[in-house]
Amino acid sequence: MNKRFNSAAQLLAAIAAMTLASAASAQSAGTFTAKVGLNKITPHVTSGDMTAPALPNTKADVESDTKPILTLAYMVTDNISAEMHLGVPYKHDLVGDGAIKGTGKLGTSEVLPPTFLMQYRFFQADTMIRPYVGAGLTYAYFQKERGSGAMTALLDPGGPPSTYRLKNKLAGSIQLGATLAFNERWFADVGIIKTYLKTRATFSTGQTQDIKLDPTAVSVGIGYKFF
Amino acid sequence: MQYTKFALAALTAAVLAGCGGSGGGDQTLKVKYTAQVSFGDSLSDVGSYAVGTVAALKGGKFTINGDNTAINPELTGKNWTEHLAAQFGLPAPCAAETGLEGNAAQGFSVARVKKAGCFGYAMGGSRVTNPVGPNNKLTGSALGALTVPVTTQIANHLAASGGKFSGTEVVFVMAGGNDLLFQLGSLQAAATAAGTAAGSATFASTLIPLLAAGATNPATAGAAITAAVRTASAAPGATTTTIVTAAVGAAAVQPGNSAVASAAVYGPMVTTAQTAATAAGAKAGADYAAANGPALVTAMGTAGTELVALVKDQIIAKGATHVVVNNLPDVANTPSGLSKDASTRALINAMVSAFNTQISTGLAANDKVLIVDVFAVSNDQATNPGPYGLTNVKEPACDLTAAKNPLGSSLVCNGSNLIAGDVSHYSYADDVHPSPFNNLLLARYVAKDMVTRGWL
Repeated sequence: MNKRFNSAAQLLAAIAAMTLASAASAQSAGTFTAKVGLNKITPHVTSGDMTAPALPNTKADVESDTKPILTLAYMVTDNISAEMHLGVPYKHDLVGDGAIKGTGKLGTSEVLPPTFLMQYRFFQADTMIRPYVGAGLTYAYFQKERGSGAMTALLDPGGPPSTYRLKNKLAGSIQLGATLAFNERWFADVGIIKTYLKTRATFSTGQTQDIKLDPTAVSVGIGYKFF
Repeated sequence: MQYTKFALAALTAAVLAGCGGSGGGDQTLKVKYTAQVSFGDSLSDVGSYAVGTVAALKGGKFTINGDNTAINPELTGKNWTEHLAAQFGLPAPCAAETGLEGNAAQGFSVARVKKAGCFGYAMGGSRVTNPVGPNNKLTGSALGALTVPVTTQIANHLAASGGKFSGTEVVFVMAGGNDLLFQLGSLQAAATAAGTAAGSATFASTLIPLLAAGATNPATAGAAITAAVRTASAAPGATTTTIVTAAVGAAAVQPGNSAVASAAVYGPMVTTAQTAATAAGAKAGADYAAANGPALVTAMGTAGTELVALVKDQIIAKGATHVVVNNLPDVANTPSGLSKDASTRALINAMVSAFNTQISTGLAANDKVLIVDVFAVSNDQATNPGPYGLTNVKEPACDLTAAKNPLGSSLVCNGSNLIAGDVSHYSYADDVHPSPFNNLLLARYVAKDMVTRGWL
């Protein structure tokens, strides 16, 4: 643990040394930035009970997924920016929980969470490390919900393939992050977004289930500034 | 800047446009079974008695028979084994042996036939090893159920399939319920007989001194009345009324006792005697049941042990690899169980528990056995029906009156002889057998355990 911390510290020191050597960067009003990176979405699920007919305490869990992300930002002023997160659909596994814990993966769903945030970036435009906070909206667009043989077996054994739908929702998001300027054009970015998202699953066999997903998205990326 | 905004909007639109509807997804199951072999009783019977008058009455399974989905989508007429066979992608299960050995005049005598390629051995009334179950011809039943015991069902399958299981079939075992019902029925009949005998004796011994008390010589009068009661009791068609008439007649002719002939005098005496008789009869019946109940609990434990041995020695040792054993459901909470008094229900619970304990200990940690705790779920359904979608867990959905249902059983219950109202989500079809909806719930419960085990 200690050793790992030491090497991480060394790495950070190296990055700092490297960036200090480069030209002063600017993240000033009118700048447009594009960033690509990886984003891991981890839902923190609080599942309601599936409605009747179901075993009491039938719950659902949703697994995490990591996908590439594209972030576009525009510096409205030297400190205030608008940011848009786009990306390919995330594919999450739906897993049995509660009374049906142990049944494993029952289905999958894709979700597109385009997110728009207004941010406040601390310090001067040319500061090397600029932490930022943001708040905004995420539209959770669910698609391609898929059941499985196991889901059919649990809901309607011998019946037609069972499936489900997740309700699309607009949700609030808050963000915390920091950019590290390498030079005038390039920068690294780490950020974490917490989204407060509740949705409802409606199964083809008629039951519904309220699921609070409240995902945390952690992204790391490399960005480029256009002036 | 205008261009940037446009690019953003276009990108968002493009991403959002990549939409798709929901679907069933990959329906492939973890294990592909080549056949479903089912041993047991009425709970899994797929039509062993669907012949003769039973078939004519549109019956054959122990639930609400027939596809009545036109009345309600839940009235599928299917039992749990049929849902699961469909889930496994197998043909609809069929009864391995059909026939009836009952009253020919009533259409309950139909030759026994073994059906090649049918592996639904489970049969209404079947016990674990005892060949005589409820409604077997040897009980005097007009139906003449075959009640082939599970031990013979397995032997029949082995005989039909080269003495072994293939190892690629799924085997269902659900039995023991008739061992309980049959023995409980015998106990109750014997207890009732004991109670009746004790009641009659107490009735006479209470009434005679009361009737004799007014006579000049009560001792002589008592002897005379006793003799009269004895004669009247032995006479064909004796009833309480005939006995009382004889006793009062004998008492009134005794010297000094003519007043007793008046109903105003002897009436209260008879009432007193009846009260004493009822109390004595109930006590004797309860005493009999209490004395003999423990033997039934032991017998259920034995039946459980026998079933464990059959699963181990005749199913697994013969090559089966996926054996699903359902334990006994909560019999005390069936309409039949609910109609019994508290001590009988306690006895039922002890019997179920004795059987299930043998199943769970005898087959524990066996990688070829999956024990499904049907008791737990049926017990929960009885007290917590809402989440299961059950609307009634205490009353049968079938109209079991003689006019509507000549057998008083779900065996001949269908869409035309249900009680009034929406019974689609009732738990029970008759006094012990589940409705099609509850059969679906059972199929789902078994499926859930199979998925968890990696068997489905």
